[in-house]
Amino acid sequence: MWGFYFTELLHSLPFFLKGLWMTVAVSGLSLIAGTVIGFVCGILRASGNKILRYIIGAWVDLIRGTPFLVQIFIIFFILPSAGIELEAFPAAVIALTNLAASFICEIVAGGILAVPSGQREAATASGLSPYQQLRYIILPQAMRTILPPLVGQYVLLVKDSSVVSAIGVVDITRVGWLTVQRIPEGIMVFGLVGILYFVICYPLINLSNFLERRMAVVGTRL
Amino acid sequence: MISFKNVNKWFGDLHVLKDINLEVAQGEVVVVCGPSGSGKSTLIRCINRLEPIQKGELVVDNMNVHDKKINMTKIRAEIGFVFQSFNLYPHMTALENVTIAPLKVRKIPKKEAEKIGRETLIRVGLGERIKSHPAQLSGGQQQRVAIARGLCMRPKIMLFDEPTSALDPEMINEVLDVMRDLAKGGMTMMVVTHEMGFAREVANRVVFMDDGKIIEVAPPNDFFTNPQTDRGKFFLSSILKH
Repeated sequence: MWGFYFTELLHSLPFFLKGLWMTVAVSGLSLIAGTVIGFVCGILRASGNKILRYIIGAWVDLIRGTPFLVQIFIIFFILPSAGIELEAFPAAVIALTNLAASFICEIVAGGILAVPSGQREAATASGLSPYQQLRYIILPQAMRTILPPLVGQYVLLVKDSSVVSAIGVVDITRVGWLTVQRIPEGIMVFGLVGILYFVICYPLINLSNFLERRMAVVGTRL
Repeated sequence: MISFKNVNKWFGDLHVLKDINLEVAQGEVVVVCGPSGSGKSTLIRCINRLEPIQKGELVVDNMNVHDKKINMTKIRAEIGFVFQSFNLYPHMTALENVTIAPLKVRKIPKKEAEKIGRETLIRVGLGERIKSHPAQLSGGQQQRVAIARGLCMRPKIMLFDEPTSALDPEMINEVLDVMRDLAKGGMTMMVVTHEMGFAREVANRVVFMDDGKIIEVAPPNDFFTNPQTDRGKFFLSSILKH
């Protein structure tokens, strides 16, 4: 029987690869958009403006304090009653972008605030504008603190993307659920699901570790 | 050049500068000294508005520094500031540290900015270390790069906030030498320092502060040999014990 199921699983590989591509698409788009929005929000959050800091902080706390499953349900099932109808794929990307941006915002803000205040003072005393200070002095230094946890966050978000299967997006996880109904060998099917997620995440984990080691070396030089 | 008129400053409820009246002429070298917490660092940090003031008037090169409408970039371009902890940009070489402001603030073309940068670094004795990062330099070398960073903007005024206090004793002289040179060249300087030998040699006047107030202002020889106030006498007796 096991041999039969294994053969069936092999025949299902194209289906799994479609699911893999869907996971890559949802995660990829969300991470790109989430990084851009997260950086902007992080820079604003780290600025002196109390109102901005408060508003962005409240948004971050809300997103980080509620289950992603609940967020994606709200976007997909509840928004239509307010007149906003979304298909599953865009809803998934919006929800995952929102999640990504909130976490990345905190990483970026933390990195910027970790730059010693003397740097800002020296830049101010030289006559550099706030934008020039951010671009030439603060952000380059902040990137050393931001980059390793940022890439680590990407790994977490790829794994979180499995939740989009709950609204019908046919990603790796959904393919697993659909396949296990035909091939009732859970370990085999979800083993393959796990391997496919690992294939995406492992290079990212290695990159994050590499960046952490590299930044640590630079850090001691500083 | 620099004019304090009834300047007062508070940090919250703490009154840190009390009725400061002081004039610094062009080409003058003024040393500010006093016990810890006397307000001397705060005083010079107000000059380029690193700290705001709440009362009074501070005029630098005929511009009211604490006027909300004033273009601070213009004022700051004319004032070089040297910090106790150097505050060099660690991700840039010495040359990049000293040329970033001329490039971005004065908008000088890159080749010319680099030429000025190289010449200034040679002037402070660091011609060989142009491509070094701050982490590769000693404290004295870093502070000299910091001075060069201020000088590359061709400022009218140089402010020094305890420039040698964070240095090992054997490095203090190399920095003071650069400062002596500057003073002899006619730069307007205000220096917060405990280096009394430097003050005696180079300063036109010594400003003694305590508890946020200016207590005495006198030429260095007068102040060091014959302080007029009890607080001045007490301060000198405690520092000259070393």
